[in-house]
Amino acid sequence: MDFKLSAEQQDVQKLAIQIFADQTDNEHLRQFDGKGTYDANLWSDLSSTGILGVAIDDAHGGLGFGFETLCLVLEEAGRTMAPIPLIPVLVSAAMPLQRFGPEQQKKILSRVVTGNTLISTAFAEPLNDDPLTPTTTAEKVAGGWQLNGIKHCVPYGSQAEKVLISAQSDQGLIALWLSPDSEGVELAEQQSTSGEAQSQIILNNVLVNDADIMATGSDAEVIMTYALQRTQAALCAFSVGITDRMVKLTAEYTTEREQFDVKIATFQAVAHRAADAYIDVECLRLASAEAISLLDQEKPADDAVKIAKIWCGDVTHRISQASQHLHGGIGVDRDYPLFRYALWSKQVELTLGGSARLLSELGESIAEEFSNR
Amino acid sequence: MDITLTPEQQALQLEIREYMKSIMTPAMIEEMKDPEYYEGGGPEYRKGLRQMGQDGWIALSWPKEYGGREATAIEQYIFTEEVMRSGFPYPFLTTEAIGPILAEYGSDEIQETVVKGILQGEVVIAIGYSEPGAGTDLAALKTRAEKNDAGWLINGQKIWTSLANFSDYVWLAARTDQDATKKHKGLSMFLVPKDNPGFSHTPIWTLGVRTNATYFEDLQLDDKYQIGEVNKGWRLITGQLNRERLSLVNHGPIQILYEDVATWAAETKGRDGQPIISKPWVQTNLAKVKTGLEVLRVMNWKQAWAIEENRLGMEQASVAKVYGTEYFVEVYRLLMEVLGQDATIGGDSPGSLLQGRLEHRYRVGSILTFGGGCNEVQRDIISAAGLWMPRAR
Repeated sequence: MDFKLSAEQQDVQKLAIQIFADQTDNEHLRQFDGKGTYDANLWSDLSSTGILGVAIDDAHGGLGFGFETLCLVLEEAGRTMAPIPLIPVLVSAAMPLQRFGPEQQKKILSRVVTGNTLISTAFAEPLNDDPLTPTTTAEKVAGGWQLNGIKHCVPYGSQAEKVLISAQSDQGLIALWLSPDSEGVELAEQQSTSGEAQSQIILNNVLVNDADIMATGSDAEVIMTYALQRTQAALCAFSVGITDRMVKLTAEYTTEREQFDVKIATFQAVAHRAADAYIDVECLRLASAEAISLLDQEKPADDAVKIAKIWCGDVTHRISQASQHLHGGIGVDRDYPLFRYALWSKQVELTLGGSARLLSELGESIAEEFSNR
Repeated sequence: MDITLTPEQQALQLEIREYMKSIMTPAMIEEMKDPEYYEGGGPEYRKGLRQMGQDGWIALSWPKEYGGREATAIEQYIFTEEVMRSGFPYPFLTTEAIGPILAEYGSDEIQETVVKGILQGEVVIAIGYSEPGAGTDLAALKTRAEKNDAGWLINGQKIWTSLANFSDYVWLAARTDQDATKKHKGLSMFLVPKDNPGFSHTPIWTLGVRTNATYFEDLQLDDKYQIGEVNKGWRLITGQLNRERLSLVNHGPIQILYEDVATWAAETKGRDGQPIISKPWVQTNLAKVKTGLEVLRVMNWKQAWAIEENRLGMEQASVAKVYGTEYFVEVYRLLMEVLGQDATIGGDSPGSLLQGRLEHRYRVGSILTFGGGCNEVQRDIISAAGLWMPRAR
């Protein structure tokens, strides 16, 4: 048992803190609010300092430090609201590609590391965010597969060079890389709560070449599960940063703000709500650390990831509201940074499983465990 | 990070789990059904504790010169977990909090009798802090000790002195300087042998277990029983409260309750002929318990690790105390709901489930949020030490 970060992890963390601090003040972030774009300069800085390749093998120009180290960067991005597509590109798409992709497909990773291209993953469909049971279909045709269906809430779907998607086929699940500029692809931007660029992708008889197929059947299930669980855990790491910063902002603000001639932080009702938020962040941090550590070591993590995401959903919701409440009006004012954290909290909470559904899934898993003892 | 037990730690866990079966004998379980003996004190309890002393378990975390094994904080946590899981009412405060203080400050004679006695499982000590007028505001205590030629003359009353009905000593906080400028100054610590004629006690029957009111009337105490520096007792009290907070929220007892309820629900069929555990609301309750339990376990592990690394933040023990105790209260409810109304049937009655343990946990659990440092004070500490907010009033 060791909760310490390794020396290289500490270095990456320090570097991330430094880079984000320089480029995330309120004025700067305002340029990207709700615009569906990302900060290309910051992305380029992350590339030149090696951060984009932190979890990508050196064969592709990365540092090969692994998922847990990448999550430290995600936490800092959450803490500073850096407007960049770290999770969709580096976790949802690059991680399964690196782990399971054929060599030919993996070539794109070197351009991900240099920041020259974006890749993403489509987990969700209308009324369905389980990538293992898609309604999208794939039919074998000469030279490739023909796709029909709808994907939505695809992060950077219209800006990505390739998007990992899953579909049903006569060989079971299929996981493949879609080029969004293919014939028959209809793209529409979807306004998301966080302001992150998200697209609906309608597939009308879209042909995907055999070369872009990752796997079919149980192999495809493994790939999509791998991508899903790491993305869920990444959202947890991101939300540790978000919620920690919201609590700190709240502590700072209530320590300055005076009403009834005293700092409002001296009211126990205020201090105790902040203390409860502090406890919540600690719980989220611990649940996330456990899930991330297990995934990083490729140990069984099904329940741990669900548990972390349940905490993520609950804690982002509770802290977002507590912080807004304790700030009073200033908290909702867009001249003050809290609103971004609140909007991202809601986005993260509802992405890839809210607490009620995950509790139900965890309960089923527990029932199975104890019925088979 | 590696948030798993090492093979050595896992082996220790299994060793203690197996060992505790030899301590929790059927006779011990039977003895604990008597409310007088639920928290120990009966002949079987004394026998078990002595055995644990002889087998070297009490000294586990102690230095080698005391015959100890110098266990790490994590190993000690595992020991606590497994002992609590077994249900044996082990006197942790005697062995882990007061014992080390006596070893540090006690005279040779105290070392030879009391400290050795603790390690051999012969001595149990009750804690005499709270008074009718001094609970959360402990420094307001009024019991006084006055120096005289024969040693110290003590007068006062304590309340909630758990274990004092069978313990060998009471670890007593008393005021020795009536004119101290601040009320937490001027307190000193004493070890009061139970057979002193100035000592008496009466039972207080609570919602859960028996505790005591204790009385100190013109109690004459030899100098050797005054422990630590005179008028500097506050440091000993608070040092010990922090340890108490961590052992209070060990996940072991909840882990086994959760497993037992889930096993029961999987093996028991409801009126529809389906296992209880097949119902969605049962699954949700169990999932809520597990979601909280995982965090409690990792939180405790991390704090034990931080103690070992000498980097435990001041607010961290308070975080664990608030989170753990409020979670416990919720867990008892969630698990009792799974058993339904049958959860309210007492352990000795026909039709009781899981020996009525959940109902009993509910009864004793209601004190947790205010016992061991009330949660409002813990939240004050968290907002001040964790978030640097000005002290709340």
